[in-house]
Amino acid sequence: MRILSLQNINKKYNKADEFAVNDVSFDVEEGEILALVGESGSGKTTLLRLIAGLEHPDSGMISLMGQTIVEGVKSLPAHERQVGMVFQDYALFPHLTILENVKFGLKKAKGNREQIALETLKLVGLNEDFSRYPHQLSGGQQQRVALARAIAPNPKILLMDEPFSNLDAMLKDQVREEIRQIIKKTGITAIFVTHDTKDALSTADRIAILHKGFLQQIDIPKILYENPVNPYVANFFGKRNEILATPTEEGFYTTFGFISDLEAKKYTGKVILQFRPEHGEVVQRDGQQLTGKIVKISYFGSHQMVKLADDEGKRVTIRTNPGRSFEGMERASFYLWKYDVEEAF
Amino acid sequence: MDILKKNYFWWNKWTGYSLLILLLVATPLFTIFIKLFDSPGGSWSHIANNLLMGYFQNTILLLLGVAIMTFLLGVSTAWLVSNYEFPGRKYFEWLLILPLGFPGYIMAYTYVGILDYTGPIQVFFRNTFDMQVRGSLIDIMNLPGAVFILSITLFPYVFLITRSSFLQQSKTLQEASFLLGANRFKTFFKVALPMARPAIVAGIALASMEVLNDYGTVKYFGVNTFTTGIFRAWFSMGDSSTAIYLAAILMVFVFVILYLESLQRGNRQYSAVNGIQKPTARVHPTLGKKIFYTSICTSIFLISFLFPFLQLVNWVSLTYTKVVNQDFFLLIFRSFGLAAVSGIFIVILSIVLLYALRLSPFKWVKNITKIATLGYAIPGAVIAVGVMIPFIAMDKWVYGNLFSSQVAGLFFSGTLFALVFAYIVRFMAVGYNPVEAGFQKIGIHVNEASRLLGARSTRTLLKIDLPLIKTSLVSGILLVFVDVLKELPLTLILRPFNYQTLATKAFDMATNEMIAESANAALIIILTGIIPIIFLNRLIKKRKL
Repeated sequence: MRILSLQNINKKYNKADEFAVNDVSFDVEEGEILALVGESGSGKTTLLRLIAGLEHPDSGMISLMGQTIVEGVKSLPAHERQVGMVFQDYALFPHLTILENVKFGLKKAKGNREQIALETLKLVGLNEDFSRYPHQLSGGQQQRVALARAIAPNPKILLMDEPFSNLDAMLKDQVREEIRQIIKKTGITAIFVTHDTKDALSTADRIAILHKGFLQQIDIPKILYENPVNPYVANFFGKRNEILATPTEEGFYTTFGFISDLEAKKYTGKVILQFRPEHGEVVQRDGQQLTGKIVKISYFGSHQMVKLADDEGKRVTIRTNPGRSFEGMERASFYLWKYDVEEAF
Repeated sequence: MDILKKNYFWWNKWTGYSLLILLLVATPLFTIFIKLFDSPGGSWSHIANNLLMGYFQNTILLLLGVAIMTFLLGVSTAWLVSNYEFPGRKYFEWLLILPLGFPGYIMAYTYVGILDYTGPIQVFFRNTFDMQVRGSLIDIMNLPGAVFILSITLFPYVFLITRSSFLQQSKTLQEASFLLGANRFKTFFKVALPMARPAIVAGIALASMEVLNDYGTVKYFGVNTFTTGIFRAWFSMGDSSTAIYLAAILMVFVFVILYLESLQRGNRQYSAVNGIQKPTARVHPTLGKKIFYTSICTSIFLISFLFPFLQLVNWVSLTYTKVVNQDFFLLIFRSFGLAAVSGIFIVILSIVLLYALRLSPFKWVKNITKIATLGYAIPGAVIAVGVMIPFIAMDKWVYGNLFSSQVAGLFFSGTLFALVFAYIVRFMAVGYNPVEAGFQKIGIHVNEASRLLGARSTRTLLKIDLPLIKTSLVSGILLVFVDVLKELPLTLILRPFNYQTLATKAFDMATNEMIAESANAALIIILTGIIPIIFLNRLIKKRKL
């Protein structure tokens, strides 16, 4: 079932500015976790605030669970939307205890507020003294309280603004997985904003890529990674190599050597071959493959990155396993098992 | 099902309240502006021909004199306490702010008392050396005297702002200057002073506003300025149109000062760009210089605060048995009540204005809301005239339409209601600024979090926002309280008939040759005024750390 639907949303903060959000439309299905990914200024946080009712769009329509909540100059006030939100700075109420914070959004009519609050705190994995105040907790614990406070009233949708940005790298992997599990356990639909593609890839069911207010692509991670609709999306998930090639009947001539590929005859003019570092492999034997001069080897523990240059100095980066030794080698050969072809002009 | 109903995104009830408050607070200003297009009153030609040049001359000389004096006193002391280590430096940081607690008119007649034939100086010379000091040598009841009095009470504005500017200047900048071969003296004139210029001018602008607002000092010294002119037109001639013309000219002075201040500030950013700055390390000068610096600060403190303060204490010890009685306590009770009510009203109105701003999706609302704080730049006498005229009109309407003319008494003008309303217009900024700072400090996210959890805007305000800015609310009320307690010209014009506050009582007694007796009320005003000054200084010091 469709939970949330945005149609042609536009938003400018000042008349003179560019659009913060530019004609964005997408739907969110029940129970899914959607990540809004983009650089700062891409409009991702603005989108979140528009959904929450903290900002109003210049034009467009938003509906939540089949009800129109934003249309024209009319807007359902934030306090009536039943939308949960975890702020980047958590925005816990400093003068209320943990328990009071979580109880704040629970209506008296909804049964035992205290019990619901305690159950939610347990769900997010907190076993502290709940009569303590937010400033007495660590950053990670504060985040859990913020999450508990947002999901306790059982909102229609949960919004999270940069939920992992305040955590150190060590904690991040663990927290990502835990938060995903908590959200999945409650069956709640969630949207979170991040600038870190790793957050999105590891936590979200679907990812929406935003750039300068435009929605570039929205899909499951595998498709975004393997079939990006444009270079921006492609580059977003890491480095891509590009080499110029001339197609013939049998394959492509490049400055690194010849690649036999029968597809090549489809092209007439010059083309650009694009591939990710992990879509190539460095091989020992010489022969038909491409070769380059070894320029630099960077060791990352789990893998190595090898930079190879052609005669003109143009470089490509190939990923290889950490055990491989290049000692005494000046040149290395590589082959590509996957690449995209694009017309050069 | 249309759940949107009448939920327009740009509207909430706070916007409505806010517009209403702005309309009310702006009324006195609009009144003056509109009345300006009426024909001038009967006495206008008399004033224009005989007095106006004098008003201009005196007002401008007063402004210039105070600007130069406050610059010298304020900048020199600010430079000393922020750059050198000398005995007592730590204490001078706040001792030199204390003169702000002295209303100008009290300082004026205290000094007249000190220099009087029966005052301590002449008595000392007479008794010790049998010297007769000629009265004319130290007659301060003139224009230079007014400059002196206003300068020693107002220089702390320049001192405070300039000191905080010196403290914010980075250590590296001065070190760069030293490394380039400049000594401390040159560094001061070429680096520190130009960088502090916006702060210094802002301080002098503040002092100038107070000069234009002053009535007590110039009246007591017989110096005719626009403020005294407004009083003369209003009370002696009963000519409200002429009073408005004078008020309008006075407003021109205010706008010129505000314009010059903003002009010199321009778009330039004088603060260094880097986030965290090491404050300039203080220099340990030679012993001789240490003694010199200490004695400069000590003399300024003695003249601007301690001597007049001790004189007041002395007068109180002589007269309290006569003055402090049931009526006096009633006077205190009344003044404190008036000040507290004004403070509470102003803070409540500020909360409404700022909360509307907080919830509003529009940026221009911020500019409109600033109108509410304009009153602080406008002299009390001008506001009084602007409040009086619509209130008298309302009274006339009430009598004309609701009652026969036999009913005695006034409903609006000449009531405490009018007085409190005028205090609100005049001092809104004093309460508004701390509340605004409080809201800014807690940020918008807690408010948004509360509303997203289903709390309406009112519940959010009461349960989340207000408890978090409690300190700001208290300091807002306190600051207004002290300002209202000191206020003289506006109170003199708008108070109900024969109604006395501590300020008016002290002024009345002093002008009626009962200077010693007036010290009782004066001392209470000063002691109350010192509390928020120390409070304010602590805030500034905290920011510098």
